[in-house]
Amino acid sequence: MTLTIPALRARGAARRRPRRPLGLVLAAAFLSLVVLTAVLAPVLAPHSPEATDLLNSLAPPGTEGHWLGTDSTGRDVLSRLMHGARLSLLAPLGVVLLSGVLGTAVGLLAARAGGWVDAVLTRAMDIVFAFPSLLLAMLVVAVFGPGLAAPVCALAVAYTPFLGRVVRSMALQEGARPYMESYRVMGFGEWWVTLRHLLPNVAPVILAQGTLSFGYALVDLASLSYLGLGVRPPEADWGSMISQAQSAILQGQPWSGLIPGIAVLLTVVSVNVLGEHLSGSIARRQGETR
Amino acid sequence: MNVLDIAGLRLSVGDVPLLADVTVRVGRAETVGLVGESGSGKSLTSRAALGMFPRGARVTGHVTAAGVDVLAAGRGALRDLRRTRAAMVFQDPRASINPVRRVGDYLTEGLRASGVPAREAAARALDLLDQVGIRDPGRAVRRHPHEFSGGMLQRVVIAGALAAEPDLLLADEPTTALDVTTQAEVVALLKRLQRDRGTGMLFVTHDLDLAAAVCDRVYVMYAGRVVEEAPSAGLFRAPAHPYTRALLEASPSARGERAEIRAIRGRPRSLAEAPSGCSFRDRCPLADDACARKVPDIRPHGTSLVACLRPQEVTP
Amino acid sequence: MKARTLSVWAARRALGAALTVLVATVVVYGALRLVPGDPVVALSAGRRLTPEQIEALRHRHGLDRGFLQGYLSWIGGVLRLDLGTSLNYQTSVMSLITGRLGVSGLLILYSATLAAALGTAVALVSAVRGGVADRIASVLAAAATATPTFVASIALLALFSIGLGWFPATGAGTGPADRLWHLTLPAVAMAIAAFGVLARVGNAAFAEQLGREHVVAARSRGVGTAAVIRRHVVRNALAPLLTVVGVLVASLFVGTAVVETAFGLDGVGSLLVTSVSRRDFPVVQGIALIGIALFVVVNTLVDLVLPLIDPRVTAGGPRR
Repeated sequence: MTLTIPALRARGAARRRPRRPLGLVLAAAFLSLVVLTAVLAPVLAPHSPEATDLLNSLAPPGTEGHWLGTDSTGRDVLSRLMHGARLSLLAPLGVVLLSGVLGTAVGLLAARAGGWVDAVLTRAMDIVFAFPSLLLAMLVVAVFGPGLAAPVCALAVAYTPFLGRVVRSMALQEGARPYMESYRVMGFGEWWVTLRHLLPNVAPVILAQGTLSFGYALVDLASLSYLGLGVRPPEADWGSMISQAQSAILQGQPWSGLIPGIAVLLTVVSVNVLGEHLSGSIARRQGETR
Repeated sequence: MNVLDIAGLRLSVGDVPLLADVTVRVGRAETVGLVGESGSGKSLTSRAALGMFPRGARVTGHVTAAGVDVLAAGRGALRDLRRTRAAMVFQDPRASINPVRRVGDYLTEGLRASGVPAREAAARALDLLDQVGIRDPGRAVRRHPHEFSGGMLQRVVIAGALAAEPDLLLADEPTTALDVTTQAEVVALLKRLQRDRGTGMLFVTHDLDLAAAVCDRVYVMYAGRVVEEAPSAGLFRAPAHPYTRALLEASPSARGERAEIRAIRGRPRSLAEAPSGCSFRDRCPLADDACARKVPDIRPHGTSLVACLRPQEVTP
Repeated sequence: MKARTLSVWAARRALGAALTVLVATVVVYGALRLVPGDPVVALSAGRRLTPEQIEALRHRHGLDRGFLQGYLSWIGGVLRLDLGTSLNYQTSVMSLITGRLGVSGLLILYSATLAAALGTAVALVSAVRGGVADRIASVLAAAATATPTFVASIALLALFSIGLGWFPATGAGTGPADRLWHLTLPAVAMAIAAFGVLARVGNAAFAEQLGREHVVAARSRGVGTAAVIRRHVVRNALAPLLTVVGVLVASLFVGTAVVETAFGLDGVGSLLVTSVSRRDFPVVQGIALIGIALFVVVNTLVDLVLPLIDPRVTAGGPRR
């Protein structure tokens, strides 16, 4: 009597396996390519991103001299894409750096100070959490007028709770471990111990959360530009390229809008893959040490 | 007639063998112990009785539980077996009861699934809780698992297992997760209910002393194989396998006869990592070259059936 | 005892929600005071005003008084459902918003339903089946999560309304059926990211429950597969899923700004975009307040429902 059990449905432990790195390799390669073209855009771009050519407007991808076609005023989509990448990447980077500093500071302060400071900061993070990030960004645009500086600051504040909560709970966890106690017993100051020993321990988490935040910020800022509330012409990012392509899309010429859209999508997917790999490997490492 | 008949059971997942040639029998109204360390395959064996195998498992041999040929049975027949003829009590009651449903719901779920009307099932639930010694059953059925202590919750699990009046009760380390005083109460309860109803019970545990106290007969498993089978009394007086003897010497006893506690050298092996021949030979003080040649056959020695080439050196 | 802990817990939640809304109103009002230069310049939205009109505006927004007094007079108006007058449309903000709430509300409800139904279905099938189905679903969900609403909007627009002509490109339609037809593409565009999030969270929650011993124990009692999934897997995973849905509803509210702009719908979202670009402050304040109130109300409701799903929440025990 022989019996082979077809896949029984209880799973769980098996899915915690480290993922095959193929996706990771592709993501890293794509991101490197995007960053490289952004940095070298003035050298690499075949045309000026501002050069209009009304006789050659809305050329489809594959047109000679314009690999990715032209937009409604005949500007080269590839060149605009390469130049647009600069703002599209720099602005989210600003959000990540600012919210990284803010979130780390708030999280560490809440965890180390404890008491009413902790209570107030935790409640403040809950309140910020209630503001959808894009709404907060639009609110500051209403206050300060269009442009990217104000939304970058607003998004940094909006993302602070994500990191702040994680850092706070990790700092509480680490702070309770014996080695921290032994430093305190040796007479090292509370803040010295925090900065010297706690910070390096939470650094990987800050990096992983920062990577994921980069993706969110890229989407939020591109959305803002798409709505005409972000970058001001003549500057352009991917979001404003799509915005300018809206009427061409309605006329059945979608390429000048779809191409920057695909660029946003692929970049965000790659960033997410990277961020999830980072947080996944942190979780695995913690699983081993704890 | 036996309520559980496992013969020549082999089980592997992929290339990893987990059980080899396991034979376990439980008679009506008999309590049988299945003893071994973690990884010995004792839980796999007890779950096989209900046709519950790990994902991707390859199984050969014979398993007959409460008259049902488990390996040949279809989904419906297996479900019927689990609903009405065989039941299992798990190690940790906190993990084995759904925490978000009420205790009454836990007790009636199986009955309702086998077609008992709601009102009758509810009445049965109250009666069962009363039998396992839970005060105020009417209130208990409306409560959630987290409102009970571990011992009380294990009583609820036992009540659930008895709901269908099974012929076969599988108890998988039913007291390991409980504290010592509660352990004794739960064991006494299991024993009383089993005797009153004439249920056959397979009692799985890593605690040889407990098994000997509770059971009529004991199987000792090591690395996916049964290495010794004996009546409890005989096993204690005269263990025939070096592993059984080592287990007895390794367990602290309240009786004070064996003052010296000796740890077994090395660590427990699973079947996949066991050496050739006798699985225990790399940890056995008596092992020699002969033990490496083939897996020892099971043969009688004293009151035991034992898989060892030289049981006379264990119990002269 | 049990009822008391529950009510104390609920009261604390409600208090926290009230505090959040209070602070949010201060922020939304205070934003006007942050405007560089004279806030009246922003309030006049580029129009030339007579000195009397400027004075009236100043008074209307409490700029002629201290912050606290100004805030109190503004919030007094908000509590009487008076959000002020739009400078751009010269009508009451409340009537501007309520007139557009139908389209946006339906859009949010439509896309939330799509995302929740498809997300949980995909999550359940992939968690139960495992193998290739799980692999495909996880790639699908990851891609959906990373798809920005505006990219989804233009792609759907280009493919299904301009390319294939199956759906209208603009407008909200008239009559119930026509309106649903018009709102389908916008709702799908908004639902894609939410679908991805729900499919991932749901898959993790279902898979976790499937691996739990109580599920194995239920099978050992002969409970059928369908009943195990319904009563033990789905039921137990409901709490984390509901929490995520609560958070997603607020992001859908903001998402209306994008899809209503992309699909030329006249709703609260496109009103917000227009008002922000024209710096029509009273309208922006009103919509921001509604957005935050929606987030707080939905999430507080979810929090209050959770103990009914998982009684351990109030007992201070672990969730799930």
